[in-house]
Amino acid sequence: MKRIMACILCLVMVLSLVGCDVKTRDDVEGGSGGEKLDTIPLTLLGQAANQKDLNVIRDLLTQQGFDVTINMQPDRGAYMSQIDAGNYDITFTGWASISGNGDYATRGIFHSTGDSNLGGNIHDERLDALIDEACTLVYDESVPLYAEIEQILLDEAYIAPLYVGRKVEAYNKDVVDGDTIGIYAARAEPFERYDFVDESKRDTDTLYLWQIENYYTTADPIKSNENSTYMTNFNMYTRLVNFNDQMEITTESALSRDYAVAEGNQAFYFILRDDIYFAKVENKQAVDSGERVGGEDVIFSLGRAKDKDSVPNHATYSLHENIDTIELVTDLTELENTQESSTGKTVLESLSDTLDVPVAELVGDKNSADNASGKYQVIKITAKTAFPQMLNFLGHHSGSILSKSQVEKINTYDVATYDPAVDVAYGDPATVSEGPDYDNQIYASGPYILVYKNDYELVMQKNPNYMVGTEFEPKIKNITIKMIPDKDSALSSLRSGELHVLNSLDVEKDSVVEGDAKLALKTTPGIAEKHLIFNTSEKSVCSDVNVRKAIQNAMDQSAFIAVYENSVFPATSPINTIMDTGCTFSPDPSLVQGYLKQYFDSKK
Amino acid sequence: MVQKAAAPAAAAAAADYAAEYIRRTQARKLKRSQEYTASRFAFGTSLAIALIALLLSFDLAEGTVNMISLAVAAIFLVESLFELAVSLLVKRAVIQDRELPRALRWSGLFSAVMVLNGNIFASISGFTRLQRERTIEYTLSIYMLLTTVCIVLVSSLNLFKAYVANTFLLGMYILAGLIVFDLLAMLLISRWVTRSATSRKMLPLALCLILSAATGNVFALLIGIITISKLRHKDKDINIEWIDILSRLFRNNMSIIGMFLVVFLISLSLCSFLTFDYSIAVQNNYGAMLLAPSLKYPFGTDNFGRCVFTRIVFGARISLVVGMLATATPLIVGGLLGAVAGYYSGRIENIIMRALDVLYAVPSILLAIAIVAAFGASTTNLILALSVSSIPVYARTVRATVMGLSSAEFVEAARACGARDHAIILKHILPNSMAPIIVRATMGIGTAVLSTSSMSYLGLGVEPHIPEWGNILKVGSSYLETNPYLAIFPGLAIMLIVLSFNFFGDGLRDATDPKLK
Repeated sequence: MKRIMACILCLVMVLSLVGCDVKTRDDVEGGSGGEKLDTIPLTLLGQAANQKDLNVIRDLLTQQGFDVTINMQPDRGAYMSQIDAGNYDITFTGWASISGNGDYATRGIFHSTGDSNLGGNIHDERLDALIDEACTLVYDESVPLYAEIEQILLDEAYIAPLYVGRKVEAYNKDVVDGDTIGIYAARAEPFERYDFVDESKRDTDTLYLWQIENYYTTADPIKSNENSTYMTNFNMYTRLVNFNDQMEITTESALSRDYAVAEGNQAFYFILRDDIYFAKVENKQAVDSGERVGGEDVIFSLGRAKDKDSVPNHATYSLHENIDTIELVTDLTELENTQESSTGKTVLESLSDTLDVPVAELVGDKNSADNASGKYQVIKITAKTAFPQMLNFLGHHSGSILSKSQVEKINTYDVATYDPAVDVAYGDPATVSEGPDYDNQIYASGPYILVYKNDYELVMQKNPNYMVGTEFEPKIKNITIKMIPDKDSALSSLRSGELHVLNSLDVEKDSVVEGDAKLALKTTPGIAEKHLIFNTSEKSVCSDVNVRKAIQNAMDQSAFIAVYENSVFPATSPINTIMDTGCTFSPDPSLVQGYLKQYFDSKK
Repeated sequence: MVQKAAAPAAAAAAADYAAEYIRRTQARKLKRSQEYTASRFAFGTSLAIALIALLLSFDLAEGTVNMISLAVAAIFLVESLFELAVSLLVKRAVIQDRELPRALRWSGLFSAVMVLNGNIFASISGFTRLQRERTIEYTLSIYMLLTTVCIVLVSSLNLFKAYVANTFLLGMYILAGLIVFDLLAMLLISRWVTRSATSRKMLPLALCLILSAATGNVFALLIGIITISKLRHKDKDINIEWIDILSRLFRNNMSIIGMFLVVFLISLSLCSFLTFDYSIAVQNNYGAMLLAPSLKYPFGTDNFGRCVFTRIVFGARISLVVGMLATATPLIVGGLLGAVAGYYSGRIENIIMRALDVLYAVPSILLAIAIVAAFGASTTNLILALSVSSIPVYARTVRATVMGLSSAEFVEAARACGARDHAIILKHILPNSMAPIIVRATMGIGTAVLSTSSMSYLGLGVEPHIPEWGNILKVGSSYLETNPYLAIFPGLAIMLIVLSFNFFGDGLRDATDPKLK
């Protein structure tokens, strides 16, 4: 027995010695000393697709003593119904200012009448007034106002900025010429740029692209503002102006040769090209329709773009509400007598800057235009109020140019009594789907045309008469967009050579792409800004500004940057992704407890 | 000529028969000797572990050698060779019908301490060798001790962390005390308990053992209950049925390893309240993301810098609780429905069984997904969803047994005595139809654990940050190529627990089968 006792004693001594050296959690974190504030329960609403973000937000808030419950919804529909029901205190959301202008970055989400103002949580008269004023100013004058808007958003803690995502293209460098891969934040990748490494394969091989949505809603660009039609519609129609990869307005691959803004920022002049013709589909082949794209089509297309009642389910009219009139200018003296807004030149001088043949005559009929002999068409758009950012909205795909004669031929139904079961509208998905209803009536003004689709792919061919002889003439004849609803499967397809370009990639897969000798990666900071929106209604604790500021400061952006392996960037607001407002914001977690104390003090 | 030729052939055949007879007797003797089978088993498993560790220690792509893995391989190789030597010696003694030499028995001590490097098989072999006459209590005490030691070993991995839970030291002291207590109990059992009699002095020890089962050590609980039942049992000539079943269960190596793993996980889940820090499992650590396995993070860290090892330990708790509740609920509901349907044939049976048939016709995982999608993802809804879909399975099993029993003579007797229906069902029929149900349920837990993980993997289980095995595996699935360990370890954990329950259930089935007595 003595021996056993001795053994036990020895064991206890050894354990005690070991125990002295062990650091417990309280030793490391300094225990639960200091003043302890009550915990605030918070409901964090988000979608399952943003699980990673929700976890980081939850973690950062939990570290500050909040009691976080995650309300995770499987899709956007369910998410929006939770927003409507008000079942949240904070919600993870984001905004990409895709048309590159301040108004798009603010009006929809921060104006009290904005259509994307989540739950109507932001209603501040100062913001409304600033947004309304800023949109009437030219860029340089508007920047200070947008800076002020940004400052109010941060000071009042209407948003808690988290990070700005990246834009990425992964491609097969053995097949696609890497120099022709650009990263476009404000528009879909222009297909006319793509080229094969082996140029002799342009007419024989197919370039395979990818989209995650495995459905297609319409070929009518004003009836859709979502992703399933984004790539196709951007490339199927031309616009008056376009965005380049720096998010600037250009006339590259656009219908205008040049444009000018008249004094007062209310009238806009566009001088049109004469070398773009509509393509149509015959026997599942793209052919030239022989019809030129001209001023009449612009007037028709923008007219229906701004008119809410031009089609059923109009999805984009709010972008063009500011357009008052669209007309053809046939009187050359009008251009000579109008001053340009910033340079002091006349509009005619400004429009003629880049022309090879000077303007001799303005014609009304698109078929009489002949740029080589100086006969041009000029379109004038007048805004209801001064609105310099109008150009950005014209670069949006809803500003696409359609064929007046073709659309009028198809859309013979009465909009008020439209019945999708009976009436066939221009661009109906059924008319382009393989099957008994296939009857492709699309007239494409852009570099490519959708020939047909099925459940797996969208098959496109190049427009045979699109800016022939210029650098924007499409190079590859056949481009097919595969619809693969799963990112991992898409990556596998890229690796196996079934896809050639991937326009989205999770950062954890970067190493997989980099490890594959035939693949390459291009990335830039994107414009997809992510932030938290607070429930400012009385029923939420976030109606108190101190709680909002506490949460805002708890959102340590370095945590997101770490979790996304340095592929995301610090954020200030959706405005800062498109213009340098000079505004900076870095959350300071050490301020959180101070704000919370103020909140509890104010409640006493 | 013909006869002459036949004679040697007949002699040869007789010799063949004799040799075959001897071989078979020897094989039977060896099979009966637990010392032999245990040491053979320990040899095989140790060698397998050594080979796996050896394979893992070489990284062919980079041409490097992992010294830790190599050392583990070497240790297990030495131990397997030791067990091989032991098994050969035991074989010789058994074949010659000799007692095992004293030295060979005492060499069990050396094997027993091999548990310190995690070789539980060698340790089991060692403890088996140490005792000449092994009672079921002694066998159980081996596993009881090993469970506690393994928990201490696993918990002590926390020492490599930056910090440990506030209650870590308290927990470790308690566990260390338990090891001493378990050893003591083992010693006393070997002295006071024989096949034929259990000493009265065992009673206080039995009570202490039942108390110590608060750590989840089911083996301790079993010893305590066995001792008390034996002491209360008057007639020493009649065996207690369930203790008999237990002894039969312990003859099957695989089922007992299964039971050991299950008990180990139950115990670990309970002890982790003291020895593991929950914050390490759920708090993100942005400075330690996607680290490869090391002593500090035995299973590496995930994409949020959380220790996968700690997450798996805490995940065991959820998996087991959900698995057991999702089995118990349909067991009770389905069992009662089945019993009623089996006892009252006719319209009642028809209504109940056809209603359950409708439920049976819906694919179970689809039904579970539908329920969770309708009521939202939470642990309670998950248990509910998994339970509902398996009610018909249990109802059918119980109904079949009850139908057979309801015409049995003892039921007739009870009816003749004027017993009411509910008394007959609850007191006479159900207790006698428990065996197939228990087996079914044991296997069912494994399936339920798997379903829980599947649902979490689909994002329909518990919240994503909560350490649940399916959740952990889901994170790993996106790093299969770059950080495979993130998926391997939770995958192994799920596989192990399901296998354990299946082996255990299988053994239980064999043990309760009267034909295999």
